Amino acid sequence: MSSVREWSDDAGALRRFGLALVRDDRFVFDDVAAYALIDKLFRQASLALVDSPGEDRRAARVRAFGQFIRLYRRHARRLALDEDGGWIETPPSARGGGSAAVGVRSLPLELREALLLVALAGFTHCEAAEALDLPLAVVVDRLARARARLAAHMAATRDAVAAWPQNAYLRIVK
Amino acid sequence: MTGRVDPAETFAYVDNCLDPQARGAFEARLQADPELRREVARWESQNRAIRAAFGAPPRSALDLGGVSNENAGRRSAESARSVDDGARPFGQAQKRSAAAAAIAQPRPAGSGPTARRLAGAVAFAAAIVWVGLPSLGPRPPAGLLAAGAAAARALADLPVEFVGGDPAPLAQRLGPRLALAPPLAPDLRLVGARFAPGWRATATLYLYDDARGERVALMVEPLDEFAATPARRGEADGFSVAVWTGAGYGFVAAGRADADVAALVAAAGADDEFPPDSGPQRR
Repeated sequence: MSSVREWSDDAGALRRFGLALVRDDRFVFDDVAAYALIDKLFRQASLALVDSPGEDRRAARVRAFGQFIRLYRRHARRLALDEDGGWIETPPSARGGGSAAVGVRSLPLELREALLLVALAGFTHCEAAEALDLPLAVVVDRLARARARLAAHMAATRDAVAAWPQNAYLRIVK
Repeated sequence: MTGRVDPAETFAYVDNCLDPQARGAFEARLQADPELRREVARWESQNRAIRAAFGAPPRSALDLGGVSNENAGRRSAESARSVDDGARPFGQAQKRSAAAAAIAQPRPAGSGPTARRLAGAVAFAAAIVWVGLPSLGPRPPAGLLAAGAAAARALADLPVEFVGGDPAPLAQRLGPRLALAPPLAPDLRLVGARFAPGWRATATLYLYDDARGERVALMVEPLDEFAATPARRGEADGFSVAVWTGAGYGFVAAGRADADVAALVAAAGADDEFPPDSGPQRR
């Protein structure tokens, strides 16, 4: 029973991660698509566990997230090729949310995926490096850049909110 | 001092990636380095904001009645020291203290009309400084205060929806987004909680009984986008109210007695902009 709950937690984490990561509306990742895709990924991961009993659940989780990341990267590459390198994701503000959500979505994909794996999905840095198929140092560097950019974005938003009442005035219309 | 700490190590600590030995060593450094503590708190707060923004449950419920209170108390002391050192922009706290002192000065004996006019001018100038100058530090949003006061007025005297005097189990029943254990003040008995319409989102209204059986309310609303602000006292709808933000939440304490509200602010470990010994309370 507990393993069912753990898988369900992992599926929820992957769904949240996917919804946060995906910014392109052409990559259909609404709730229905998310459930279908995540169900498939975790089915694959659990089958892999059956095939190799030595592998633990953590590795299966890393593999499922890694597969999802590769899937979205492939989508990005294909669109970039289709559009002669001019692929542009949907503007982050189009999806709404608070300043943290908009800030995360405004990050470039490579920074976004590292930050979301660690901060949202709760991966360790080593697990994130494994899922992203990158050296640990690169992941740590991307994390640092992502955090700095997000902090700057959130501070700017906060300042704008704080400054609003002072800047708001009625314009005299002649 | 933080310059000597590798940022990667700070991130590893915040993301819980250090082994127990390295974690212990880092925490020892953390104890001695307030700047490093601030940096860690900053990244932890960012992690919380990201998790809250995308609907993930918090990693662990923040307990305002326990460890966090101790930290907040320390922050409060540091903040008080920084005010004394004149770190506040334009030394506003000192201006207000001076104004309060000027008001509190006894009238000179045998004052004639000129002295009275002079005293009146001083008092008038002091009142302008006291009332007219806005706080230059970060301020909690006014809408939060209004929502907290309205919730207290409408709901404080009604039966609670969740009965419980134990903070942590009570908070857990409210779901991950609102699972913030309420503080316990010495003379207040936690009765339970209700949901309440907050400023921007659903909030929790924790309800307490004081020694006279009067209700005191503490509204807690998740506000991911606001920086920590010290508690500001005020009065609304016949309630004494204090409003502050911190740790990704907005707080409004409301009660009919000043002392109850002050006790809740102190128990929550909020930095009080007008502590009881700093002169008259602004209303």
